[in-house]
Amino acid sequence: MKPLLRAALLLAVAGIAGCSTVGIKPWERDILARPEMALDASPVDTSFDEHVYFSKEATGGGRGFGGGGCGCN
Amino acid sequence: MLAVARDALRVERRGELVAVQWQAMASPCELLVATRDLDLARRLGEVAAGEAWRIEHKYSRYRDDSVIGALNHSNGVPVAVDPETMLLLQFAARCHELSDGAFDITSGVLRRAWRFDGGARMPDAVQIEALRTRIGFDRLRFEESALIVPPGMELDFGGIGKEYAVDCALALVLREFDGAMLVNFGGDIAANHQPDSGPWKVGVERPDAHGAARLLLDFGRGGLATSGDTHRFFEHGGKRYGHILDVRSGYPVEGAPRSVTVAAACCLEAGMMATLAMLQGAGAEEFLAAQGVPNWCLR
Amino acid sequence: MQLKPKPAAGNLRAGLMAATCALLAPSVKAQGVSGADEFDNASVDTGLLYYQEDKGRVRSIDAIVKLSHDFGDERTLTATGSVDSLTGGSPNGAVAQLSPQTFTTPSGSSLVATPRPRGEDDDEHGKLYTIAPGDQPLDPSFRDLRVAGDLTWSQPLGIGNKLSANGHLSVEHDFQSASTSLMFSRDFNSKNTTLGVGVSGELDVIKPIGGVPVAGSDYTLFQKSDGTENKHVLGAQLGVTQVLARNWIAQLNFSVDSSSGYLNDPYKLVSNVDVNGVTQQYLFESRPGSRQRRSVWLGNKLALGNSVLDLSLRYGTDDWGIDSQTVEAHYRMRVGGSMYLEPHLRWYKQGAADFYRMYLTGADAATSDKSADPRLGAFTAKTIGVKLGVPLASGGEVGVRLEAYQQDPKTHTSALAGLAGLDLNPRLRAVMLQLDWKFGF
Repeated sequence: MKPLLRAALLLAVAGIAGCSTVGIKPWERDILARPEMALDASPVDTSFDEHVYFSKEATGGGRGFGGGGCGCN
Repeated sequence: MLAVARDALRVERRGELVAVQWQAMASPCELLVATRDLDLARRLGEVAAGEAWRIEHKYSRYRDDSVIGALNHSNGVPVAVDPETMLLLQFAARCHELSDGAFDITSGVLRRAWRFDGGARMPDAVQIEALRTRIGFDRLRFEESALIVPPGMELDFGGIGKEYAVDCALALVLREFDGAMLVNFGGDIAANHQPDSGPWKVGVERPDAHGAARLLLDFGRGGLATSGDTHRFFEHGGKRYGHILDVRSGYPVEGAPRSVTVAAACCLEAGMMATLAMLQGAGAEEFLAAQGVPNWCLR
Repeated sequence: MQLKPKPAAGNLRAGLMAATCALLAPSVKAQGVSGADEFDNASVDTGLLYYQEDKGRVRSIDAIVKLSHDFGDERTLTATGSVDSLTGGSPNGAVAQLSPQTFTTPSGSSLVATPRPRGEDDDEHGKLYTIAPGDQPLDPSFRDLRVAGDLTWSQPLGIGNKLSANGHLSVEHDFQSASTSLMFSRDFNSKNTTLGVGVSGELDVIKPIGGVPVAGSDYTLFQKSDGTENKHVLGAQLGVTQVLARNWIAQLNFSVDSSSGYLNDPYKLVSNVDVNGVTQQYLFESRPGSRQRRSVWLGNKLALGNSVLDLSLRYGTDDWGIDSQTVEAHYRMRVGGSMYLEPHLRWYKQGAADFYRMYLTGADAATSDKSADPRLGAFTAKTIGVKLGVPLASGGEVGVRLEAYQQDPKTHTSALAGLAGLDLNPRLRAVMLQLDWKFGF
């Protein structure tokens, strides 16, 4: 298995296994509540970028389910 | 939300909490937030203060441009009522009924006879009788969502406005932050949950001397309200009268505790329960025991 | 009608609790009517993108509008509409030569100039174009208008669970696509961990201009059939979102998808050259009838003081032999009080598909799958950009973003005599200018 893939899987397992110790209290969510801390903070930017990279490169998406297909690849 | 002047709020740290303070509804108001972030606390304070001032401006009987001002000067002409005011009127109706008529938001005219400034002048019976003809919640009428206030009658949301504002302010800051917060408008309190370090510590003033807390309560969540005569009272013939008037007689309630503090699910419920208890006079403690709510009566 | 209190019934405390609930629940929303509306439950996000490649290649203008409405209780509906307009030249897959080359646009069926029948325009009849010696063959007729829309509904499902459903439609001249997806997520550990799983399906209908060419056949024979081709894609995704610290949230996604059906680009050719590199023949490209892709994506948001770092990594692979690695970073910093400046860097590396060839030589002309599409070749791509965001007094935000993209192919020269000194796979450069505006109401 490729080293990068293995590292990613280990991180995932560690994340789930260690979930009872990793994290913050509910009243510590102030920073995460900021709009720029959302994982997709600029959906318009992401939409445009993913469309450009989908039509110019062979790998698409990965970060989530986007819209659908287009005839550009 | 009304625009909030930056220096209208005072922000200071208190141990693990941040306190934001301002003046509204003739009371010192504060928002306590379990956070170390002063900017966050200030932003939340602006939300809470904005809501306090909004409700104060909207339902203040001292302003002609407030909803209450418009209703009180309508002289019998129907006035269109917005949904929020409608809901408050329905709440007042229910409380009027639950108290068998003792709680009445049209009783404000009685304050023309009674001045609760610690003085000793007793109003005369004729004056009180004349004012009583201008009281009666049942006499308010609706016509196609417009309210008709008969000439001479006045509405006063003073008995519920502050507690309502406390609950509304807490609901608004909860939309921004879900950490532990406490809203306190001059002794009417609501909180969503207690901080990690333990319950909120609330002091209820001792009726005889200002500033020295007699009761220290551990408060976790919900509402807490105090009804009492510590600041507004009347003394005559050696007797001290609280400011809660029994509209059925036109006179202050007799034999009521000096102070009633009630804990309930929200501030509005706590406040109304405390008011209803006071209206029972000597039977306040018994009344509260029958209702099964946590309470502290001081005599 | 009189505002008469209803006759008292039952327990006073219960009655008071009910009365309080009735007052407080709707009253927070009712403020809006009195003019003190602080909270918007609907928002609009709009954007305009201008994209331009160098050397007379593709240019496009894209517009997007996203409307989002919050129905309360965390139920939201988002509707998106977009329009893309593309023009310009696109490589047709053939390799450059030392002598001129002539091709016809996709709707053409002959390399000999014939008079255009009355009633047919260039689009229907086909137009010849000649490539100068040494130039990469570009089809100048690349032109398309694409309209797309989608709808997403998201709601809680019990406590701590969320369900999201999406439908999407996309229409352009020669391609139509319909897709749908379903995503379920659950929170654990005081919302510090969220597990998400999703499935998606897509059906595409392809109706190439000029007809569907027989894959791998000789270009000059113009063996095309009328009609449409289909392609379907099934996808699945598993994701974990984890709060790692008060200022750090990360997400790890595993995605797989499987496509089958018509995966060719019907307009692309592959040159078949002799031992000297002189083109003997052009063949229509031919790709496998299926493709399976897998990818792992790790995203991070890290708050550093007032700034936010967005760092993501992606590793992808598929059964066409294409491996890719992506590293992308955005750094948002506060400037001038309430504005922000966000520089952006992206690095992308891709390996070539097993059946990718810059051109064919005698030996591998016989292989079944072949494509000279530069998008399936090996290259490294870099992006550098910056965005300026300006919040508006009314509560929205306006942004302007400028990006520069460059694609450097790994192999672009040949040792063959007839191709010596030619850049067979030129570097691609593009700029993007975006304007966006978001507001709530």
